[in-house]
Amino acid sequence: MKKNRLYKTFGVLIAVVMILTACAPTVSQPIATPPTAVPPTQAAAPTAVPPTAVPPTAVPPTKVPPTAPPAKTTIIIGVTDKIASLDPADAYATRDWELIRNISLGLVKFKAGTTDMEPGLATDLGKISADGLTYTFTLKDGIKFGDGTPLDATIYAAQLNRLLTIGPTCPNDVADTLTIPYVKSIEAPDAKTIVITLKNPVAYFIQILTTAPYVASDPKTFKADACNLFPSAPIYGVGPWFISQYTKDEQIVLEPNPYYTGELKPQVKQIIVKDYADPQTMALAVQNGEIDIAWRQFSPEQLTPLKSVAGLTVGTVPGGSIRYLVLNHTMKPTDDPNVDKAIASAIDRNEIADTVYGGNVSPLYSQIPPGWLGATEVFDTMYASPNLDAAKKYLEASGYSASNPLKLEMWYPPEHYGASTAAWMEVIKKQLEATGEIQVTLKAQEWSTYVPALTGGKAYAVGVLGWFFDYPDSSNYMTPWVYNRGEGTNITIPKEGSSYGDPINDKAKQLVDLLSKADTESDQAKRADLYKQAQDLYSDLVVTIPLFFNAEHVVYRANIKGSSTFAYPETLNIGPDVMFNYATLSVTP
Amino acid sequence: MSPIGFVALIIGIPALVLLGYVLITGSTGLRRYILTRIVLTLPMVLILGSLVFLIMRVVPGDPVSSALGPKGTPEMIQHIREQLGLNDPIIVQYGRFLGHMFTLNFGNSLVGGHRPIADEMSERFPATLELIVPASVLALLIGIFGGAHAASRRKGPVDYAWRIYAVVIYSLPIFWLGLMLQLLFGVKLGWLPISGRIDPIIGTTLVHRTNIYTIDSIISGNWLALKSVLQHLVLPTITLGLILSGIFVRLTRINVIETLSMDYISAARARGIRERVLVYGHALKNALIPIITLIGLQVAILLAGAVLTETVFSWPGMGSYLVERISQRDYNAVQSVIVVFALLVAMISLAVDVIYSLVDPRVRY
Repeated sequence: MKKNRLYKTFGVLIAVVMILTACAPTVSQPIATPPTAVPPTQAAAPTAVPPTAVPPTAVPPTKVPPTAPPAKTTIIIGVTDKIASLDPADAYATRDWELIRNISLGLVKFKAGTTDMEPGLATDLGKISADGLTYTFTLKDGIKFGDGTPLDATIYAAQLNRLLTIGPTCPNDVADTLTIPYVKSIEAPDAKTIVITLKNPVAYFIQILTTAPYVASDPKTFKADACNLFPSAPIYGVGPWFISQYTKDEQIVLEPNPYYTGELKPQVKQIIVKDYADPQTMALAVQNGEIDIAWRQFSPEQLTPLKSVAGLTVGTVPGGSIRYLVLNHTMKPTDDPNVDKAIASAIDRNEIADTVYGGNVSPLYSQIPPGWLGATEVFDTMYASPNLDAAKKYLEASGYSASNPLKLEMWYPPEHYGASTAAWMEVIKKQLEATGEIQVTLKAQEWSTYVPALTGGKAYAVGVLGWFFDYPDSSNYMTPWVYNRGEGTNITIPKEGSSYGDPINDKAKQLVDLLSKADTESDQAKRADLYKQAQDLYSDLVVTIPLFFNAEHVVYRANIKGSSTFAYPETLNIGPDVMFNYATLSVTP
Repeated sequence: MSPIGFVALIIGIPALVLLGYVLITGSTGLRRYILTRIVLTLPMVLILGSLVFLIMRVVPGDPVSSALGPKGTPEMIQHIREQLGLNDPIIVQYGRFLGHMFTLNFGNSLVGGHRPIADEMSERFPATLELIVPASVLALLIGIFGGAHAASRRKGPVDYAWRIYAVVIYSLPIFWLGLMLQLLFGVKLGWLPISGRIDPIIGTTLVHRTNIYTIDSIISGNWLALKSVLQHLVLPTITLGLILSGIFVRLTRINVIETLSMDYISAARARGIRERVLVYGHALKNALIPIITLIGLQVAILLAGAVLTETVFSWPGMGSYLVERISQRDYNAVQSVIVVFALLVAMISLAVDVIYSLVDPRVRY
């Protein structure tokens, strides 16, 4: 009898604990919280207190009373991307840029949801000298950091000069990609004027100025002589938000900057960006309401089940990354143009998109994705793939046949681009072997070994890569495999002691010349034409073979809204630059 | 005080007190045994660390190329490798590694901003501790009571049920069990949170002192946070605890059955002592002694389980850190985590041996 009582007591105890924990209020759904639950610091909203009336010390972000109930208007966003740096002088990852561009601004910026340029901290888009080397900007009045400190051109120029001084010594070395190759000097002749002088004219430099490294950073947090990748909160900028709390690898909290005077002001009192280790867990979290929005990065195959969940919207962002085959033209058998053209002719991109990804990716027919300056569908017009007859003709012109098939090794990283990579490589293998004259051997290699082997230009004849732009311009989609990193593709492997190879043939040289010309052409129509010509040559040379465009997706709950004033409200105003502008977000009861 | 300092304090002070007590009051044999174990721990960790050092460098892949991907130019890669000392001869790198290991400084990470690894582990370790302690308690509760229950009903349906439970639960992949619990209690029933350590909004009100959130919320009297932390602990704890409980059910069952067959139990039974008292009051108590030793051996399995559990539940502890850094070929971080895990296993095994000698006076070293 007593034994039974012991068990019963134990069972009741367990049940009570379960019930207590289960029945506790689910505070992760902020809309359910009573209005009186707003903690004291939330009252310092920009509209409630005039910016000039609030002394710098009036924003005590971490002084929230420990028993304060949750805020009413908080939006929680889940991400799997890691923060690599919050120091603008060394910020490179997409998530870094998104956070930095929400807490601060550069001289120019994109209009929300678009890649249309508009003034940021400058009064206009700047004055460019006739030789294209000098950019002069005048700052707007009354710009202040989130703690109330005014920003003038002297401070701004000094902070930008960190890119030239300490930038190359920082861990991510972003300056060597986005500043050092272009910028000669950054000066402030007076408190209102910034003058940037370039080493050579660069047609897309204005686009580079929209990137996170060029925003105004706080000199108190980001000192002149050191990179500070993971500063302690609060982190202030001159944008609509400031970072009030930062718990590394867990969450980052943004609150409205009370001194922000720009047009687009935050509509909620708090944004929390929560880290996830696994997209699968993030998908479950948005389903059960733990988070309001699930953002980067889902792989395409994870989206299909989410599309059928009631109360969730899966928005397809008009931006993302591309996947393509890299062909090494300095190795056998891909040093033969007929082989390259045969591969380009045999591939059926629609089959990859439909069978492997259920339509969650789009076929891609040029290295420049649709919508970008000068983009065409040149691989479709030139090869009309899948065209097995054409593929066979190319192969037979080089002496291959059913009895003497082309033997091809194709390499890929099994995990880096998602678990489906092996599946679509199998599809490509099947498509190439359907010619009857190609035998494909698929070989997988772990990413950290794969990358140097492929980009070194000496190991793999055919491999797979993806690309996400560094700066929003067509040049960034073409130049890497033409002359920046084109070892074995469009240029020869650099000789010992040299950084650059030579174009592999006359057409390759023409391609380099065309893209160099496009880099300095300031007339956008002429640039577009140059890119069209370049794509024709690129396709003819089969420098790489574009396969598909992997658009980003944002998954959100029914009470979350983007702004209908701006483009793409259905993707919460995330446009081709694939960046959230948190200020357009609102939550409805 | 840093979080890791606090953790070191709450683990270290009781450990030192226990050690001091045993060294003062223990027998000469026990003292010699403990000192030998401590001395042997050093070469063990050294050998393990050196093996990891070598394996990480033998396995193909480069941390810098991996981090930069196709965007890394040869100049950038060389520049960063130079900065990180990866161009130094392997023997120089090994010497640096030994220096870091003996000073417990661990050096800097090769990726993610090249932060000091001690700082990164200091942020992560409390989360792992917060997970493995309740999971161990749950595993022991289920294992010991389940095993004793099965033994008391030997060859009956209850016994078979517990035996099947033990085999099945131990064979389940952790990630699958975690996912099923997430789907059932998180998505379908909506009872429990499925990810993270605390509700994000309540998390903004928590003052971080130790990074052990249960303790932080108690220290600051933040009961809302405590409730949220406990809610978030339920599913990861159950996942890890259940998997581990299988082995304890089997061990306890066997030991209790063996003890129940002893003469003193028969004598006690003949004296009319109730079966429950016999099983839980006499047999289980004596059967627990060998189980204590096995608890020490299960620590390594517990940590391995934590690696998977943390990934499934987005629990930002040492396990998910290790997984992340292995894929990025962050030699320094991987070596450091494994050295810390090895030290932890060695310390707990030693502590268990010491406790064993205290619990059972018959044990002589």
